[in-house]
Amino acid sequence: MANTPEWVALTDQQVVLLARGGREAAYRELIRRYERPVFALLFRMVRDRELAEDLSQETFVKALNAIESYRPEFKFSSWIFKIANNAAIDHLRRRELDTLSLDGSPHAETPEAMQATALQIGVRQESPLEAVEARELGGAIEAAIGRLRPEYRSCILLRHVEGRAYEEIAEILSLPLGTVKTYIHRARNELRLALAHLKE
Amino acid sequence: MTPVPGPHLSADDFDAWMSGALAPDTREHLDHCAECRERAEAEREIVSLLGALPLINPSPDFADRVMLSVSMPDPFSLRSLAGVIRGLFATPRAAAFATTVALVLVGSMTASIVWSLGHQETLAALGSWAMAEAWQTGWVALRGLASNLMEQPWYATIRDSLEHPARWGAISAFATLAYILGLVALRRLLALPAREVAHASS
Repeated sequence: MANTPEWVALTDQQVVLLARGGREAAYRELIRRYERPVFALLFRMVRDRELAEDLSQETFVKALNAIESYRPEFKFSSWIFKIANNAAIDHLRRRELDTLSLDGSPHAETPEAMQATALQIGVRQESPLEAVEARELGGAIEAAIGRLRPEYRSCILLRHVEGRAYEEIAEILSLPLGTVKTYIHRARNELRLALAHLKE
Repeated sequence: MTPVPGPHLSADDFDAWMSGALAPDTREHLDHCAECRERAEAEREIVSLLGALPLINPSPDFADRVMLSVSMPDPFSLRSLAGVIRGLFATPRAAAFATTVALVLVGSMTASIVWSLGHQETLAALGSWAMAEAWQTGWVALRGLASNLMEQPWYATIRDSLEHPARWGAISAFATLAYILGLVALRRLLALPAREVAHASS
């Protein structure tokens, strides 16, 4: 293999093999590929930016330090999402969070802490009116997701935000396929009811 | 009012509708059932809202912080070698390839050993001939090199200096002194500064 492989052309499994060979660039490539989706999942699970960063870091450190135990017949994405989801569920079991603020963590006590833990969204081209509408609608759906049961939340985020297949979600969450489908349908139903007032 | 054909759509049917794979008879029900149509549109709206949620990125130094806590394997350690071997047999295709290569290697080595045992006299004759050729070639090359050196203009000067031990001793002493001075200078150049350099911390 060349000294500087074309990372984009490599599959996750090939990057993992290079990482197992002790190449730091391969570790960084795995982080680059999954830092955004893992962080987004964790942020929407725990609804606290600082905490989501800690859990994301914990997820990657755990996964990369155990890279030797990763089995290439499974998708790397399934493996890392499984570790991330377990970290979130463990946390939620220890500590229940039940409100969401787009302006920052519900546990922030000062304006600075609110600012530091606020949701930082990607840059999009939109008019001020569109921005306000999107913020209202986005805030409403983020809040509605936050009120779902954690297992519904994992399922709906993996399916409709991260675009994972039902089978992969079943593998990530170690649930039967039928249960995953049921959770997703119930979650969509709850979201539909929660957002119904916006249409009136 | 026309009757609505078939039962109401199930959750799976709504998924199939959203991915454009709804069965024709269910499609017919949907065309005639206002309740199912309203529900389907609402489901699609939710899915579209979820898909449009903003991208969220961790802080820019996230990768660096992760890497500080990751211990990478030493590529030359036995554990890593075991990992590479495991990787070779990770998929059936890789295992088949690795097995084929191993069989070819073992087969060719076995064939080579068997042939050598059956043709020991031939091998001995070949060895003697190769040794004699190598010796002759080496001797000719050495003689050529020596005569070439002796024809060089600086050869006489070096031979004269080697015939006077005092001059030879002075040259050796000068070379040793230059070597020691060079070592001292290099050591001073490579030494870390004892004090912080003012402009280096800005």
